[in-house]
Amino acid sequence: MGEAIVITSGKGGVGKTTSTANLGTALALQGKKVCLIDTDIGLRNLDVILGLENRIIYDLIDVLEGRCKIHQALVKDKRFEDRLFLLPAAQTADKNDVNPEQMKELVDSMKEDYDFILIDCPAGIEQGYKNAVAGADRAIVVTTPEISAVRDADRIIGLLELEENLDAPKLIINRIRPHLMEAGDALDVNEITTHLSIDLLGIVPDDERVISSSNRGEPVVMDPSNPAALGYRNIARRLLGESVPLMTMDKPKAGMFGKLKSIFTSK
Amino acid sequence: MKAQVTGFLKNIVNIKGTNKGLLIQLNDMTSYTEMLDELKKKVSDPALEGDAEVQIQLANRHYSQEQLDEIKKAIQDNSKLKVIGTKCDVVTVEECNRMISERQSETYVGIVRSGQVVRAKGDLVVIGDVNPNGRIEAGGNVYVLGRLKGIAHAGASGNREAVIAASWLEATHLMIADEIETMTDELDSLLEQPEMECAYLHTSGKIIIDRLQELRFLRPQISTFKGGS
Repeated sequence: MGEAIVITSGKGGVGKTTSTANLGTALALQGKKVCLIDTDIGLRNLDVILGLENRIIYDLIDVLEGRCKIHQALVKDKRFEDRLFLLPAAQTADKNDVNPEQMKELVDSMKEDYDFILIDCPAGIEQGYKNAVAGADRAIVVTTPEISAVRDADRIIGLLELEENLDAPKLIINRIRPHLMEAGDALDVNEITTHLSIDLLGIVPDDERVISSSNRGEPVVMDPSNPAALGYRNIARRLLGESVPLMTMDKPKAGMFGKLKSIFTSK
Repeated sequence: MKAQVTGFLKNIVNIKGTNKGLLIQLNDMTSYTEMLDELKKKVSDPALEGDAEVQIQLANRHYSQEQLDEIKKAIQDNSKLKVIGTKCDVVTVEECNRMISERQSETYVGIVRSGQVVRAKGDLVVIGDVNPNGRIEAGGNVYVLGRLKGIAHAGASGNREAVIAASWLEATHLMIADEIETMTDELDSLLEQPEMECAYLHTSGKIIIDRLQELRFLRPQISTFKGGS
């Protein structure tokens, strides 16, 4: 029996879909069987980030309205044999065409076949959010070190805490820029976690290659040398119950001269 | 007590002079209409000259608001007397329950997050933070053991004596009774020393922030503690 995890944020553009794609891929890399559900009906793009856009035949609405069976709508990611699947959102319907009861029934029926079901939630706190949360057992809140994103995260955490069948939500801080945090120009990790007072699941540094790899349809997590990939891989390991220390943000590396200088100045 | 009052009041309506003006005592054992007629007669006595201020003592009878208005009208229409107050020895169960709930203190343990509202009829104690856009409202005083970073409203049903106290007072809006203070200007100075502060309504009608320790001088009546040594 797998678990269903909803990935949400309140605010748009903080990296819900990117995080869903990368965490799903990271879990598949760890040998888990994963299904990603895109609930952003009308504005789907999880399929694009995974590079599966061209292979969609049926979608979520087709399944819910009985026009096809679940297995017909699922798009298999061939890079991972039988471990990563996507249930795409419909593009021609809207969020009000689905209700939370239908979503819960669907997710519950899929739990037996997968280790993890990751539900990509749309921005906002309306119908789309309610649909996404309905079938979940756990919630992950994605935020960035910006006050507006943290405010919305706070709002969404308040709503998630009211859901009786959800465990306490966990936090991902995405798009961290170490030099801004050090200069005090962005909220730091500690400030955000104490403000929101929920457990931190992990941090993901900002990296340009996240964008370029999303554009290629290859989640960045597949490149093990990338710092953002490391962030996502660590989060996936924590989801699997491992205790992984929080990654340290690499400062600009000191050159040979700097290293020598630090040897002489330190006592 | 009752026997004493009625025994004392042989007349249906008694008018007495005190150092604060006149006192009209109404008998609580006769019928209302009889009392009202007698009152009209007594106050229209030409011996009662001048425009003195009067207090009405209602003793152990409950009067509705309409009846009270009628009594006041009876006095003011038939004389130059001016009613400045009434004193009643009884309250309805309803009023009593309201007074009890307003004096009670409710405790909320947890974080009041953005978009959430916590309300109490009496005092409100929040153990935890009030995050920006979170709102706490109380008929009485508001106490926050944590960071107050949102909106707090004390004395929401009109009590201008109510206060807001917090371990860290970093609110965006403070409201007491019907006064509001947006904390834009204060915030800079508060950020240096936001710890252990309280907000109260100054007689000028402005919300003032002071050290928590000053509360015992500003609002001594908040203390309900009796005894001690």
